[in-house]
Amino acid sequence: MEHGWRSRGAWWLAWALLTAAGGVWLARAELARLHEDFDTDGRIVHRLLSQQVVQYDAVLATLALLAPAADGPRPEQRLPAINPAILSVVRHDRDRPWPDGPHAEALTQAEARSRTLRRAEVAAPDLPQGRYLLVLAAEPTSFALAIDLAATIPWRDWPMDPRQSPVRVRVEQGDRAYTVQPGRFADGPWTFAFRKTLAAQSQPFDVVAERTVGWIELPWARIAGWSIAVGLALAALQAWLRQRAARRRAEELLRLGQAARLNTLGELGAGLAHELNQPLTAVLANAQAARRLLDDQPPEIDAARDAMTQAAAQARRAAEVVGRLRRLVDQPRGPADLQPVALQEVVHGALYLLEPERQRRGVAVHEADATVTVQADPVALEQIVHNLLVNALQALEAAPADGRRLAVETGRDGANGWLAVDDSGPGIPPEALPRVFEPFFSTREGGLGLGLSLCESLAGQMGGTLSAGRSAMGGARFELRLPLAAGAAA
Amino acid sequence: MNAPQSPVIHLVDDDEAVRDSLALLIGTIGLRVQPWAQPQAFLDHFDRHAVGAVVMDVRMPGIGGLAVLQQLVAQGVDLPVIMLTGHGTVEMCRRAFKAGAAEFLEKPVDDEQLLEAVQQAVRQHVASRERQQADQTARERFAQLSEREREVLGHIARGLTNKEIARVLALSPRTVETHRANLFAKLGCESLVQLIRRYAALAEEAGTP
Repeated sequence: MEHGWRSRGAWWLAWALLTAAGGVWLARAELARLHEDFDTDGRIVHRLLSQQVVQYDAVLATLALLAPAADGPRPEQRLPAINPAILSVVRHDRDRPWPDGPHAEALTQAEARSRTLRRAEVAAPDLPQGRYLLVLAAEPTSFALAIDLAATIPWRDWPMDPRQSPVRVRVEQGDRAYTVQPGRFADGPWTFAFRKTLAAQSQPFDVVAERTVGWIELPWARIAGWSIAVGLALAALQAWLRQRAARRRAEELLRLGQAARLNTLGELGAGLAHELNQPLTAVLANAQAARRLLDDQPPEIDAARDAMTQAAAQARRAAEVVGRLRRLVDQPRGPADLQPVALQEVVHGALYLLEPERQRRGVAVHEADATVTVQADPVALEQIVHNLLVNALQALEAAPADGRRLAVETGRDGANGWLAVDDSGPGIPPEALPRVFEPFFSTREGGLGLGLSLCESLAGQMGGTLSAGRSAMGGARFELRLPLAAGAAA
Repeated sequence: MNAPQSPVIHLVDDDEAVRDSLALLIGTIGLRVQPWAQPQAFLDHFDRHAVGAVVMDVRMPGIGGLAVLQQLVAQGVDLPVIMLTGHGTVEMCRRAFKAGAAEFLEKPVDDEQLLEAVQQAVRQHVASRERQQADQTARERFAQLSEREREVLGHIARGLTNKEIARVLALSPRTVETHRANLFAKLGCESLVQLIRRYAALAEEAGTP
């Protein structure tokens, strides 16, 4: 039992280890995939935003180049209508100041920086609102664009669904940030981050993408599948090993049984041969000596007569050996052990013993529960019932798998109790029926033909009978009748 | 040669009926049968000098037939032994012959077969005893020869003529002639062929130069 526990523990441990190893591998693979997707998305976002903001440089450069007259038709004022990300365009002619406004100061400073750096400059950024001005100093007229980041985002080409995606995307400068996409940002065991400055020198904002991966996002379904598969494989392996061990044990038992039987038979044969050959030798020698004595001239009649008398006596001795052997084989037990036995208990016990056989063949059993107590030798009765059930189960192998039925019924009939074993097998051919109880007669391939013969002798020794016939279930019916126990006959 | 004895067949079997019937059967061809119920009694008391044979069962209580056979061989008994068995296997047969059995027969045994085997064994034994007897007599006669006569015998056996022997032994041919005549008389031989057949081996054995 202890061994059983230990071995079962080892199987569970193996299952747990394999599940853990496979689970970790699957989780790592999933995390690696998520990280790669995240990086790809981050790069795409960076490129898209960079492309957008570079356009503003181009717009400013074009305006500076064309320098539309301050008093002309002012085509630059049509830009907000074409590009919704450009909220307005402000111009600063050399001979006029920047228009009044809250950002005039910032614009002036940015223009000065722009002039020095010879590129556009950001003025008055308000990142939380996604607004900033972009100024390019030029002669004769400097221009500034008021830009709305929200309208800048190219949602059509966006690699993620902004409402569903767990990735938070922000545009940052210092500690101020515009949130492009909120993501589902929570504390999680794994965090991915992507940070890269926009590819436009004039607008040095960082694109920052972040996401967390929670436990819930691990491939639990696949891990569970793997765990189940490991469990099934181990169970199959265990079953196979167990089956192999059982088969080995059975083969071993069979071999031992055969060897023991052969030994016994060999001993029996040697003893029997000697016992019989001694008188036969004497018979033959006496008879042949007598013939020789009679052939003598003159024939020795008296001596020959003595020899023949001896031969006859020895022939009788040989017959006695055979008789002794018969008695030995026929009556291994005396009839003294008869006692009240409940038939259904014997049936129940025998069926319990044969449960594996029954299951293996998929036989449906109907078992009677009537209480019938007969006068019998319990061991002999068990042997008979066991034999009858084994025969029925074997016969059912020839029946279709879905029609294998076996019924054991008990009842009483006058002073006798009876037990009937019915099966739905092929039954006994009519021509074989009178011979089924003969020793060494068998309808089964490889059958020794001793089982039923033994059963009948045992039944007879207990004052009962065993008969065979056709069953209403289509197969064979064997009926055992035994005297009811005293007091049980009612 | 001693006076010829009538051969005796020792019949060893624990079963009285078998013993009696086989004794009767063997008796019908005029052979004397000595029955033994106990193998040990047979080993202790049988006449080792008489010619004959042993007919013995393999399976007996106490010591078995094969063990008895082995003891006989170990004691240098030259009686041929016929083994009988009721349950013969190839293995048992092999062991019996290896142990020195003259014949191995299965019970129940047919009279022709048994009697033929018994007669054959007796003939064999008589012949072997006669050969032994002759050897014995020759040895006794050879012992009576003088040293010089043995030398001459050795040279005769090697095929030398009288003259050659005289030269080898530095004797006169006439003396050799005398020794030669004495040799024939003492050894009881009538021809050179007889002399050489019976005594050449002995002369060789005695180591004449």
